[in-house]
Amino acid sequence: MEEAVSVSDLTKAIRLLLEEGIGDVVVEGEITNYKHHSSGHRYFTLKDEDASIQCVMWKSRNINFIPEDGMRVLIFGRLSVYPPQGRYQIDCTTMRPFGLGDLHVALEQLKKKLLALGWFDEARKRPLPTLPMRIGVITSPTGAALHDIISTIRRRLPVVEIVFRPALVQGDGSAEDIAKAIAEVNRVGADVLIVGRGGGSIEDLWSFNTEIVAEAIVMSDIPVVSAVGHETDWTIADGVADRRAATPTAAAEMVTPFTTESLLQTIAHHEALMLQRMSTRVARVQEIVTEFRDGTTARRLTERVHLRAQRVDELTSRMARGAVQHVAMLRRQVEHVAALCATLHPLAPLRRGYAIVERNGHILSTTDKLIQGESVQVRRHNEIATVTVNTREDTRANLNE
Amino acid sequence: MSKSKESAVQTLEDQLRRLQEIASLLDAGDLPLEEQLRLYEEGITLANTCRDYLTSAELRIQNLAGGNVSSAT
Repeated sequence: MEEAVSVSDLTKAIRLLLEEGIGDVVVEGEITNYKHHSSGHRYFTLKDEDASIQCVMWKSRNINFIPEDGMRVLIFGRLSVYPPQGRYQIDCTTMRPFGLGDLHVALEQLKKKLLALGWFDEARKRPLPTLPMRIGVITSPTGAALHDIISTIRRRLPVVEIVFRPALVQGDGSAEDIAKAIAEVNRVGADVLIVGRGGGSIEDLWSFNTEIVAEAIVMSDIPVVSAVGHETDWTIADGVADRRAATPTAAAEMVTPFTTESLLQTIAHHEALMLQRMSTRVARVQEIVTEFRDGTTARRLTERVHLRAQRVDELTSRMARGAVQHVAMLRRQVEHVAALCATLHPLAPLRRGYAIVERNGHILSTTDKLIQGESVQVRRHNEIATVTVNTREDTRANLNE
Repeated sequence: MSKSKESAVQTLEDQLRRLQEIASLLDAGDLPLEEQLRLYEEGITLANTCRDYLTSAELRIQNLAGGNVSSAT
């Protein structure tokens, strides 16, 4: 009769045989019974059509995607024996999705999750302010993105203030730093916020594909424009941002829909309109004033008014053609007309000795008639008198009415 | 950054909006002369203020990490 061995000794022998004899393995298979234990350790079975094997992956081993049942993976590890249950298993060190890269799988998983949360919904997204005065910028302090954003804003609308929060945009801790930066700019305050970086590999852009950054963007009270990489790089951050810009330069353009040039043009346009309307009115008042004086002066003044009105007309129609290069010249002309207009202020003739007749504080117009016996005010440049109308008579027909 | 500049920053959009409003009011006509004059003066003043502000302002950059960003500009 052969000598009996203990279970422990036999297991020890098996263990030696398997762990030393097989040792390191790379195994391809499908995950089943995946359990992420509350301890952080992961237990699952790897199988193919004909066989299965237990696997364990300790908490300390990092993977950047979430294994799921049915997923085909490559396992890197070591065969080991678990004596208490007489079981052999693979102690996994790393795991990769079979075929696709693990980052791609993680991206797809997060995309699915955020889609379900509604974070990509267009209805959630806010419009950008049309004239932001404080523009937040979060990017690397050393990359080309910052330079592109600053130079574009300086060229288009230098009246604004940039609130810059430098951030790590790749590598360990970058996602956390970007999320922190978004919260920080929200505390300091800005009208709109650009978050981005230049192009790179999927690994370089990875922090913009994390849930923590997506959440920070969604939680931001300030509308966010994402500008990550190039046209072809789509990231989670792009999906959840209020607007996505293809490049940092495009983001800077997007947040400054109005430029200094376009605003000056608008101002000049309003100014010309006001001048034109005012001059028309001044011309009418002028006619009232000239009723009291000889026709020569009146005619000369009227000619000046008409001349000026015509010039304003010219300016207005030229502006309507929107010739950007004319803006500076037009502005000088408008200012000149403004100076002219000031000399035609209805009260200006008083300085030259004319008087205005008022009744109860209102200037009498051409059509108003004086009433014998009433009191009216005669306003001169530096005095005003109340006079009583002794006699009155019509001197000429009123041609205007 | 001075306080007065700050408040000017906040009101540029309001000022431009008011300027547009005045231009529309004057364009519509039918105002008493005194009112028209008052609006006209307010409008011209606003136009000058906005233009001066827009053309005189230099881009300012506040760095939340401290320091300047001259290397990037």
